[in-house]
Amino acid sequence: MHIHAYEKLWLALSIVLILALIGTVTYGAVGPGVAMVADTQQTVDSGALDEDERFSEPRVEQVGENEYEAYVVAYQFAFEPSPIVVPANSTVTLHVTSRDVIHGFEVVGTNANTMIVPGEVSEITVETDEPAEYGIVCNEYCGAGHHVMEGKLHVVSQSEFENRGGDSA
Amino acid sequence: MGQNETAHAGAEDVGGGEEFDPIGTLTLIGIYFAILVLAWVYIYYVEFLGRDLVVVG
Ligand SMILES: [Cu+2]
Repeated sequence: MHIHAYEKLWLALSIVLILALIGTVTYGAVGPGVAMVADTQQTVDSGALDEDERFSEPRVEQVGENEYEAYVVAYQFAFEPSPIVVPANSTVTLHVTSRDVIHGFEVVGTNANTMIVPGEVSEITVETDEPAEYGIVCNEYCGAGHHVMEGKLHVVSQSEFENRGGDSA
Repeated sequence: MGQNETAHAGAEDVGGGEEFDPIGTLTLIGIYFAILVLAWVYIYYVEFLGRDLVVVG
């Protein structure tokens, strides 16, 4: 079979492109550690979040040297706590669940974005950099007040976080 | 490539030389390819990884 030289070039470049795309995704996972939202979380009773030890009191708590866990409840039509206050240059795991219907949780302008399904806990771990203030929007239509459903994520300096530690806990 | 095929291929292919050289098409596809690669690099490495709060777990 005769294959034109250009065709060979085209085939070679196509293979290079495929390998490069796979390589990019591999690099993303291995280098910066990009991860997906897993479905391995234990389920919760969305009707009884008040009795759930994690979600009865939406909050941010320190669990390690520089590690924090945030427990966030979404409902028609807000997020709690608001604002979610976390320290800069730390690792924060957000556990987000819904009290009523499906909501979205998108920290605007960032890669933190997940669906919130009642009964399920969406867990995403992010690394914060400099102090910043982000908006959070619900990006799943959830009812008449969907368009006003918003939250805040405040990344504050370590010292500021410690100062306000008393009231956020 | 295959010697046998060449023998059956007829006069236009004898010698294995490329008489049909769509250099314009090659150039155009090369440009598309470059755009594709640049766009991918920009979208993934700059826009996606460059944003705050990359999800790592
Ligand atoms: Cu909503």
